[in-house]
This record gives sequence, C-alpha cells and structure tokens, in this order.
Amino acid sequence: MRQDPPWKVIRAFGPLVHLHNVSGGILAGDRLSLQVDALATMILTTTGATRLYRHRPGAEDSEQCMNFSVGEGAMLEYLPDTLIPFAGSRHSQRTRFSLGRDATLLWWEVLACTFAFERLRISSAIDICGKPALREDFVLEPSKRPLTSLARMGNSTHLSSFNVFSEGRTNAFWSRMADELRKIAPERWGVTVGIGGVVARALGRNCAGDLAALRNAASLLLTGKPATPPRKVY
Amino acid sequence: MTPTSLLRLLQLADSAIPIGAAAHSFGLETLASEGTFHPGNLEDFLASWLEEAGAQEAVFVRRAYRGNASALNEELSARKPSRESREASLKLGRRFAQLVNSIAGTHIDTDVHYSIAFGAAAAQLAIDEDLAVLAYLQQSVSGLVSACQRLMPLGQVAAARVVWNLKPAIGRAAAQKEISCFTPLLEIASMRHPLLETRLFIS
Repeated sequence: MRQDPPWKVIRAFGPLVHLHNVSGGILAGDRLSLQVDALATMILTTTGATRLYRHRPGAEDSEQCMNFSVGEGAMLEYLPDTLIPFAGSRHSQRTRFSLGRDATLLWWEVLACTFAFERLRISSAIDICGKPALREDFVLEPSKRPLTSLARMGNSTHLSSFNVFSEGRTNAFWSRMADELRKIAPERWGVTVGIGGVVARALGRNCAGDLAALRNAASLLLTGKPATPPRKVY
Repeated sequence: MTPTSLLRLLQLADSAIPIGAAAHSFGLETLASEGTFHPGNLEDFLASWLEEAGAQEAVFVRRAYRGNASALNEELSARKPSRESREASLKLGRRFAQLVNSIAGTHIDTDVHYSIAFGAAAAQLAIDEDLAVLAYLQQSVSGLVSACQRLMPLGQVAAARVVWNLKPAIGRAAAQKEISCFTPLLEIASMRHPLLETRLFIS
C-alpha cells in the first residue's frame, strides 16, 4: 500500500478501511488520485464529508480521480461521506469501477447542493468484465442551469444514490433485490434493475439511515449475512 | 437536401409514426400524479429536459449517423439507469428500425435504442446529419407534450405554443457535442412509475 499526503489510510477492523484527507478538504487546484485493487472483501469509507473549497482566481478546477479494480470473486464496498461543494467551488470528480468475474460492488454516494458552487463535473462508470454497466456524466453550473428545475432536483438539495452490481447474477436475482430494496422508505426512493445490478436514488435530506438499511438488505441477499458496521456515527 | 430527402425526414420524424411512442411518458406520468408537474411549469421543464436528456439523445443520434450502432447501444443502455425508460427506448428503436427497414429497404440493426436507430436510418437514407438531429429532438418534444395533454389540463393551442417556443432550445441541444445529463427527479419518477396505482402509460 502506498499513500501520499493529503491521503491517510487507516485500517480499522478486518476488511474495513477508513480513508482520511488530512488537509480537511479539497482546495482550488488540488489534484487527488486514488487507486484501489480489491482482491478479497474490502469496505472503504471516509472519515468525514468531502468538502470542496472556493475556487481561487488563476487556479485550475480541483480534481479527484478514483479508480477501483474489483478482482475475481472479490467484493468492494465504497461508502464515502457526503460530497459538499462550497460556495464558489469548481471541481471535477472522476470515478471508475472495473469488476472482474464473480466480483461484487456496493457503492453509495450523497451529493449536497446546499451552497452556490460555480461548477461541478461528475463522471462515473462501472464496467463488468469490460462491458459498460453504468455510465453517468454531468456538469452542474447552477447559475446557468438552475438545479431547481423539475427536470433536475426540484426543491431538493441532496441527491443520494445506492448501487449494487455483481457479475454472474441472473435477472431474477436482481428483480428480487429490487423488490427487497423497494420496501425501504418507498416514499423517498426510486429503485430499478440496471444492467447487471440494481440502482436506487432519492432526493431529499436525511437519507443516511435509508442508505444503511439499503446496504444491509443488499448484503443479506448477496452474502446471507448483514452488512459490517462502518464503525462510525453518521 | 433533395425534396425527396426532406419529405422522408418529415415522415420519419412525425410523432404519429406508428411505433407505439404514444404509450410512453418516460416518467412524466409519475411527476404529474405527484402534483408537482403542471401546465404552468411544462415549458421550463422541457427546456431543462432538452439541456440534459435531449442533448444526450442528440449526441447519440449524431454518433449513430457516423456508424458503429452496436457499441453505441451498450453505452447508451448504461446511461439509462431506469429500466422502464431504458426498455421503452429499446422498444421504440426496434419498432422504428423494423418499420424503416420494411418501407425503405434499409438495413438498420433492430436491437438498438430509438435515437441510435434514427441516426442510422438518416445516414442510410442520405438525410443531412444536422437536420436529422434537429428533427429527432423536435419529434421527441412533440411526443412528450402529447403525453402531457393526456396527463394534465393542457389545450391544443397551449400545447402547440410550448412546442413552438422551444425551437431555440431544440437548436442548442442539437448542437451539443459533449455528453452531460443530470435529470435525477425524472429518473426517480421513472423508477417509481411501476408503483402507480393506475397508469395510462407503459413507462
């Protein structure tokens, strides 16, 4: 394992790993990268929200690139805390997951659009055995394209997503998974069967408890065991 | 563009073309049923839709025009997380391709999304690329407005005005080259559509 500042990797219990950014946030012009190769079971979380600070004149947009490779038969859970772009921030986040044979991914993400940030560019991709399973690319510039539009977020400021993907499962398995996840806070969440997985999304604050419940339900179906607690308080 | 090409494009981009598009709302039915979507915000909604999902579809019409429909299809499927909307797009693509292959003698892959089938058809029929993208978006907007006429108190003149007013937004979406699509509220609405107690639409 190699770690360079500002990253600090903290091994917790068993497969649980806490990722800590010692600088306290991402500053204008920062370039952060993360490469994770999961060969067995791994639960990666953060020690706090990812805070994106105000853009500085002359600096480039801050950037965070994360590449996750999930090897044959391995299971990765990537459970970061909320992404918070502060007022005036400009940031680009690129996340890539590559799943091998019989590999499994649980990934949640929460985006809080509570401040008047300038620009947020998000690019996310999940590939299963080299084939695209999920692709998402968007650029948010609230001053040009209001997030309050009914086609975007409406009156909500928080977007939560929960994704479960696994190679080698049947469509019937994913339909059953979707049915189970739909039982959790159905008034807030949309749940659907994706390509080789299930995608759940919700708009609104206070979805942390829902995310934990979704993760637990997914874990029970995937492994027959409840999810390992992340050893922290949300 | 020859007169024959223009007439062919007008027929292919007629929202009344018999491929079953009238049976799909792509999540609008859920939004309307929740009471947040009404004639007063329809035009703003569609202008934003064009900036996001419309622009993404435009990119895929253009890429399909230039070839490699199969690879594009896998990518576009991965960009449609909601199963209902994804399957609706594939169903319309299949019916559109079958129809055009039948009447025009083209050889379009029948297992592709609607936007990809449309771009491939335009290329095979030597229809101008830019006009094909514009026409695809025009018929998409017309189709959504038509769905709204069945979901909310929206008269024919008001509906025609909305489509008329959105022409500049259609032009901007058609010119988009980079993929950027952020429509979480609509996606969630599409995901929740199967749970509606009574439904007029398949999606």
